[in-house]
Amino acid sequence: MKQHKKALAVWIGATLVFLIGALLAGTSARTESVQETMRDAVLHSVNQVSLFGWRAVNPGLISAFLVTALLLAAAVLIRIFAIPRFKYVPGKFQLVLEEAVGLFDRMAKGDSPHRCKFLGAYIFAAGAYIFVGTLFELLGLQAVTVHASPITLPAPLSDVNAAIAMGTLSYLVILSGGIAANGIKGVGKTLKEFSLPISMSFRLFGALLSGLLVTELVYYYVSLSFVLPVLVGVLFTLLHALVQTYVLTMLVSMYYGEVSERGEPKESKKTHTAQK
Amino acid sequence: MPLNIDLQQILLHWMNLAILTGVLYFLLYKPVKEFMVKREEHYRSLDEEAAAKLAEAERIKAECQAKLDGADEEIHQARAKAQQAIQQSTEDQLAQAKEQARQIVAHAQAEAEHSRDRVLRDSRRELRKLAAQATKKLAFQADPFDQFLDLAEEEDEHEE
Repeated sequence: MKQHKKALAVWIGATLVFLIGALLAGTSARTESVQETMRDAVLHSVNQVSLFGWRAVNPGLISAFLVTALLLAAAVLIRIFAIPRFKYVPGKFQLVLEEAVGLFDRMAKGDSPHRCKFLGAYIFAAGAYIFVGTLFELLGLQAVTVHASPITLPAPLSDVNAAIAMGTLSYLVILSGGIAANGIKGVGKTLKEFSLPISMSFRLFGALLSGLLVTELVYYYVSLSFVLPVLVGVLFTLLHALVQTYVLTMLVSMYYGEVSERGEPKESKKTHTAQK
Repeated sequence: MPLNIDLQQILLHWMNLAILTGVLYFLLYKPVKEFMVKREEHYRSLDEEAAAKLAEAERIKAECQAKLDGADEEIHQARAKAQQAIQQSTEDQLAQAKEQARQIVAHAQAEAEHSRDRVLRDSRRELRKLAAQATKKLAFQADPFDQFLDLAEEEDEHEE
């Protein structure tokens, strides 16, 4: 009991020392105003990162590659070490994996029962990408901009190009489902929803960007950097990672199911008369 | 482009997403789904096996029940048959006993007839013998002393 009290006292003391140190040290002179920071968070016109020395790209693209690399590495490890050891009575990790796959599989089967194999694979990958990509900003990985200043890598989808890519690719997937099931008719059905790529892209962009802007705003001022980031940084990020994953995958599977649904063949006049 | 939209970066994101979708499908989605299907089939086959065994057990039970029901009837028939056999056997034995009795009686009658004939024959022989003795006595006149003694013996015998 005494040891616990000692540890608690040490922990509180260390926290207070760090707090006082942070307040006394102050911040170095800002190179940009909050307006400029916010503007750059949206447009990425200044803080760009070099892509292997080829060209300057938005930091979101680097984040996207890193998220993909992380996911692929995890997938390879799981494929090699976990999946061959799967049992009929699953353990905790197996249960999580099966639930993740089963969730998107059920969603695909439920919304598009007639054609769900490719849809299931796509929404699984998109869901994993959005979820892990959104949580990625919690890692706070640093990169160096082309102007040699450090930058925290944001969530990939807070970059407008990534959001547009996700929205349009999802629309193309829906279109492919329509064509595969109904041919030209499927194209017509999909084109009716012409606002879909824009709405999906900017919904993602808006949701992720708003999170980024709030985080930028909070971290810009030292006085807001205590306790609040726990809520803003972790809980909000977790929440909108789940919400955005669910919204995009649900919309894609719903529209995919709608356009790939085979229409009832029209009864010919002859059959109709014969029936009469 | 407005909002710093860059077609090249969008295409790079597409490539990234395409790689991710393909690799995740082959490394995670497909094998996990296959395993889940395999497990489902395993439990379905167990379920079907159990159902088949249950049906077999029900069939055997019904068969046993039918056999039990049939056994009652069989026992009834066997009992009737046994009673019939006993009845038949009793009647046969009775008939046999009657026949034996008839034979015994016939044999006894024959025996009696034979005895009667023998006694009759012996009696006749005895009478003839007595008649011959009497004739002889009458013919050769016996001694009076002997006659007296004979008469005396006869009287003694009568007194006795």
